[in-house]
Amino acid sequence: MDILSWDGTLSSGGRILIIGEHNSQEEHDEISCPQKEETSCSEKEELIDIATLVQSNCSKVPYYDLHIIYSASYRVPVLFFRAYYSDGEPLGFNAIEKDLPAHSAKALLDSKWTFITQEEHPYLNRPWFKLHPCGTSEWMKLLFHVDVSVAKNGVTIELYLLSWLSVVGQVVGLRIPLEMLNQP
Amino acid sequence: MAADSPSSVRKVVVHLRATGDAPILKQAKFKIPGTDKFAKVIDFLCRQLHRETLFVYVNSAFSPNPDELVIDLYNNFGFDGKLVVNYACSMAWG
Repeated sequence: MDILSWDGTLSSGGRILIIGEHNSQEEHDEISCPQKEETSCSEKEELIDIATLVQSNCSKVPYYDLHIIYSASYRVPVLFFRAYYSDGEPLGFNAIEKDLPAHSAKALLDSKWTFITQEEHPYLNRPWFKLHPCGTSEWMKLLFHVDVSVAKNGVTIELYLLSWLSVVGQVVGLRIPLEMLNQP
Repeated sequence: MAADSPSSVRKVVVHLRATGDAPILKQAKFKIPGTDKFAKVIDFLCRQLHRETLFVYVNSAFSPNPDELVIDLYNNFGFDGKLVVNYACSMAWG
């Protein structure tokens, strides 16, 4: 395979549908919602347990579902995601925007709606958000241009997906463990 | 191997490589404490090139999360005593 003439897309050997879940609570250092029982002040009523003041946020831990779906028209994987609180209430776009890592928020400012759009999930037929795919082949090309082993051996689908996910995962705050790349 | 410094913090040599249509930096090699996050490298690049966003990746077709420690990246992707970090301006989404 001639890497220089590769267009950065994935040939349609089959569709990919991977379901992953990402609880963004780990990213939220500000949530001091206590998981333990507040029994420390049960004896003396004068004591004020300030940890309970933020209790109203307890149910407001956002959960994210991430799906990877192959786009036949762009011939690249596309990240679909949705966010909802533990009580099932979905997060609107504005709430998600506040939840995203800072650099994603910056990209959103520049190119809202060409970056993240709301669309019907092709299999679940519900409104999900998706990362726009049309730039994907360009930066996938860049990623693999510098990898010397690719010119000799080509790109496996697993490697392609891992590389792709390392980029799109950053948008939603997903971090690929470096150990994954060391596996044969 | 990473350069040793008198203090307990090991420094990593980072070599910044322009790819695609990105401008080449006058000074492309730097030493950065291994305990720093990759975000520092990204921010430095953005400031030097006067850009809000850049596409930043390492040699194994991987774009590191900004929260990764530089020393971890060096240990996984470093070669010949340095960590090569590629950057491009054309980071279009859609």
